[in-house]
Amino acid sequence: MSAATRPPKITRLRPRRAVSAESLKQALDPHREEALGKAYDARLIRRLWGFIRPYRGIFWLSVICLPLNATCMLTQPYLLKLAIDGYVTAGDASGLGRIGLFYVAAIIGECTFFYAQYYLTMLVAQRSLADLRVQVFAHVQRLPMSYFDRNPIGRLVTRLTSDVDVLNEMFAAGAMTIFMDVLTMAGIVLIMVSIDARLALASLVVMPVLVLGINFFRLAARRTYREIRERIARLNAYLQEALSGMMIVQLFARERRCFDEFDELNDDHREANHWSNIYEAALFSMVEALASISGAIMVWYASGDILAGVIAFGTLVAFLEYIQRFFIPIREFSTKYAVMQSAMASAERVFQLLDTPPAIASPVPAYAPASMRGTIEFDHVWFAYKGEDYVLRDVSFTVNAGEKIAIVGATGSGKTSLIKLLSRFYDVSRGAVRVDGVDVREWDLQALRRRIGVVLQDVFLFSGDVAGNISLGRPEVTTATIEAVARRVNAWDFIQNLPGKLDEKLRERGSNLSTGQRQLLAFARALAYDPAILVLDEATSSVDTETEMLIQDALTTLMRDRTALVIAHRLSTIEHSDRIVVLHHGVVREIGSHLELIAMRGIYHRLYELQYALADDTAAAS
Amino acid sequence: MQRLWSYMIRYRGRYAIGLVCLLATGSLAMAVPYLLKRAVDTIAAGGSQATVGWLAVSIVAIALTQSIVRTCSRFLIFNVGRDIEYDLRNDLFAHLERLPLAYYQTQQTGDLMSRLVNDITAVRLLLGVGFLNLINTPIYYLWAVPIMASMDWRLTLASLVPYPLVLLVVKRTSRQLMERTLKTQEGLAAMSSRVQENLSGIHVVQAYVREQAEVAAFARLNADFSAQNMALAKVRGIIMPVMRAVSTLGTLVVLWLGGLRVIAGELSLGDLVAFIGYLHILAWPTMALGWMLSILQRGRAALQRLETIFQAVPAIDDRLAAPLSEPLRGAITFRDVDFAYDTKPTPRRVLRDVDLTLPAGATLAVVGRTGSGKTSLVQLLPRLFEATSGGVEIDGRDVRTLPLATLRSAIGYVPQDPFLFSRSIRDNIRFGAPEADDASVCRVAGIAALDRDIAELPRGYDTVVGERGITLSGGQKQRVTLARALLVDPTILILDDALSSVDTETERRILSELRGVMHERTSILIAHRISTVMAADVIVVLDQGRVVEIGDHQELLARDGFYADLFRRQRLAEELEAL
Repeated sequence: MSAATRPPKITRLRPRRAVSAESLKQALDPHREEALGKAYDARLIRRLWGFIRPYRGIFWLSVICLPLNATCMLTQPYLLKLAIDGYVTAGDASGLGRIGLFYVAAIIGECTFFYAQYYLTMLVAQRSLADLRVQVFAHVQRLPMSYFDRNPIGRLVTRLTSDVDVLNEMFAAGAMTIFMDVLTMAGIVLIMVSIDARLALASLVVMPVLVLGINFFRLAARRTYREIRERIARLNAYLQEALSGMMIVQLFARERRCFDEFDELNDDHREANHWSNIYEAALFSMVEALASISGAIMVWYASGDILAGVIAFGTLVAFLEYIQRFFIPIREFSTKYAVMQSAMASAERVFQLLDTPPAIASPVPAYAPASMRGTIEFDHVWFAYKGEDYVLRDVSFTVNAGEKIAIVGATGSGKTSLIKLLSRFYDVSRGAVRVDGVDVREWDLQALRRRIGVVLQDVFLFSGDVAGNISLGRPEVTTATIEAVARRVNAWDFIQNLPGKLDEKLRERGSNLSTGQRQLLAFARALAYDPAILVLDEATSSVDTETEMLIQDALTTLMRDRTALVIAHRLSTIEHSDRIVVLHHGVVREIGSHLELIAMRGIYHRLYELQYALADDTAAAS
Repeated sequence: MQRLWSYMIRYRGRYAIGLVCLLATGSLAMAVPYLLKRAVDTIAAGGSQATVGWLAVSIVAIALTQSIVRTCSRFLIFNVGRDIEYDLRNDLFAHLERLPLAYYQTQQTGDLMSRLVNDITAVRLLLGVGFLNLINTPIYYLWAVPIMASMDWRLTLASLVPYPLVLLVVKRTSRQLMERTLKTQEGLAAMSSRVQENLSGIHVVQAYVREQAEVAAFARLNADFSAQNMALAKVRGIIMPVMRAVSTLGTLVVLWLGGLRVIAGELSLGDLVAFIGYLHILAWPTMALGWMLSILQRGRAALQRLETIFQAVPAIDDRLAAPLSEPLRGAITFRDVDFAYDTKPTPRRVLRDVDLTLPAGATLAVVGRTGSGKTSLVQLLPRLFEATSGGVEIDGRDVRTLPLATLRSAIGYVPQDPFLFSRSIRDNIRFGAPEADDASVCRVAGIAALDRDIAELPRGYDTVVGERGITLSGGQKQRVTLARALLVDPTILILDDALSSVDTETERRILSELRGVMHERTSILIAHRISTVMAADVIVVLDQGRVVEIGDHQELLARDGFYADLFRRQRLAEELEAL
């Protein structure tokens, strides 16, 4: 064995429980389960029913198949009884063939109805779960930005994919038929009782033990299954993070400690699984044993009756078969229980997401004019992301149509928050933001956003081609338009140099483009949108001088003939603006042109000096 | 498979006990139909109920014993499966920790994750339930068939005819099952990445009113996924009915042929009952075997994929390293360094003939356009990558001769992309020095100008930053990574454009605080702002991987090259504004 194939020895050296990382585990929990791991929750089932309802025709058809399937299955032992009593023990071979044919028919019926039932159930499941996914997805599209601030994307992706898939598994594993299983078992008891009540009682004398055993299992497994789910989620979350941050782990020589942490999570997961294996093995073995014991008791009891001539042999054989069949669903109980339990936990989480109100939505009736002039008014605006922690205080200023406003201020002065209020990514806490004299909360949300073009600092590109990233898939944006806007924002040259030109596929987040190129694409996107108001958060990240010139030039083009609200970092941008709004700790401190503000010798002057002084200061030190 | 053996051998003791238990379970199972036969024959012969009673008691005793050994066999073997899963996962993690950065640049985290999750599961199934059934089924057949044959060999043959069919059908369908399962997994993955992207860009989607188009695009993927699921369901639904049909078919054969033979007096009624019993017993193991054959296939494939991870060689060889007698002082030399990324088909050269010397305690600034090789240059120091030719030396010793842990703990690296872990701010800052006390944490947080931000957070240093630091701003994240690097008290401090998202005022505050720290150690700054780099002892301008200018601020200004140009442009902008 070469060095590369030998498992590293490190596993053998671990100090047990070296890291007691309760806080780590809490931080890693992507979806803690608040519920106690119920396997059945009427409230959730009712909500699921809402999605099944549109397909209730197929659903009921599948439900009808269940008793038909059960009937065919339960006929078989009875046919055995008839065959043995009527022909075998009577020494009459004539009718055996006929009964055999009935038996074959019963088998075919059983299988057909089983398959039909499964197929139809899955059809309903696929349709209703597809509806559920689309509904959740559409719902998420409408959630306000504040929601995405608090919830990591990975978690939302899980809701839409894995969690819904667990519900799918509930149907696929036949867990829904757990209720029908109970009916089948009741049917078996009924048939046995109708054949011979006392013998039936003897056969089922082990029932209390079975019920106790299942109940014990249910209680023990409830916690364990929940732990397994939580622990595997934690383990994978840790792994994912370690893989993404492996450079940091290695740089800080943290391998050993990370390994220990991973080992602990891994061990926790293993331990929970060990317990579930023990419970499941015990349950499985108990059910098998009870089936045999039940048969033995029945045979002993029946032997007296047969010897006394009260019942026939066929009854004994039929009972043996019925007992076998009675225990079949119970063998699958542990699997179905686990599936149901995680399905309930998933359903709970999915519905919780669906219940999150889209806090920002169009009012009824909404203001939706055909066009927008582009005046903006901030009227005593107060805004806090949470509680009373205001990031904007009593902000008031107006912007005329076509005016260009630069917003300046240190980090944390509230600049970004300010522009986010305009497109109603957030709602003000107090006061009002008005566009064309109408409160943005009275606007139709789509009409409002349709006329405001937003370019944020961190340019987001979708995977797909260059053209698609400019048009954003709007059919009205033609290739000619795309080319025209790309030219106007100086993006055409670099697009021409891409191997695929406009059809060039962008990698994840546009990683095959430079920062500057991404900026220019975002400008092209905004220009193609042709908004009445342009909202722009200038990128701070530095680019080379040539690109810098291209960007500045493009910016001028972009702002032409529209109202512009720009968080400016470049002095040239500030210079090109009509007025400057100086924000300081969420308060508008100064408004005016560059020269006016310099003359005021206030905060703007200080901000400006700072840039200058910094350079001077370090120059003196060298 | 060789690796698998080495794991299995570790648990040979428990496997052996499990095996014995399996054998006992199987053997005991055989007794039950036989005892039933005896009971039925006793009744048929007009024997006493007491005799039947004793037989029933024997069955109860056997069932109870069997339940114990069966429990043991199952949890022993399944738990070994979990143990090997645990070992395998740990070993993989330990191995992954040793793989170089270059490996992670060619692998997508998502792919690795799916291997670590799905493939390990496949291997575990192979070792647990797969192993159990591969052993179990032969045991059952080896017992049941001779017993049945001893009663009536022709009936045995006739009733077992459908069983090989079960094996074939189950094996074939389970292969289809797995292929289609894989398809749905891919469908799910496609949908996930779609959702992931949509949500990452939700601000663009909402700002440009693209919600409905996004829903429509999602609905298409969703419909594909549903169709894949339905295709899977069609196969999945077939297994149970086939299984039921074939096993009941066996019963039918026994009833019919066996019934005729009973009538003819060639077979007892008890034999008939026993036959039905044995067929019941064989039904499940037969089906399980078919299933296991595909689990075996899948497990082997999974194992091969995992093996490719194990085969990835840690590029860094620590064998040449000799321990140091005294701590590193931090003098840095780049000697004729060439570096190329090992891209296919042609390597991408990013550094050419770099010659640089930096005395201990000095400050080096690196400027240059994006893609000029700045980051690659500094990444050679902690050996995130290795020079293709030439040498990188610290205190005159080639970094390749230094023990990796010593080398890396001497370097505080603040990367361009501020990666944080979803833990508390305190734990993130202490990432490289987990034992550091709160006073030191506060001190470095102060230098990184984090103290005020942290005071405003709800739980202060205990605030959990969320996945990748979601709750922090870009500037805050960068400052946490700076504090993290400072806390290890590095001999060499590297800031790779690490203050790009920090505003000017805060940057000034940080730089003036850092000046004190930088005096004591060798520092390398990569930056775009002249104000950041002009105070450095040595400034290097990189262009297409070459050092094109080198010197201090004044010298470079005098050279009137790229640096002087950059300086003039930034000054010009400022002076224009000063008008």
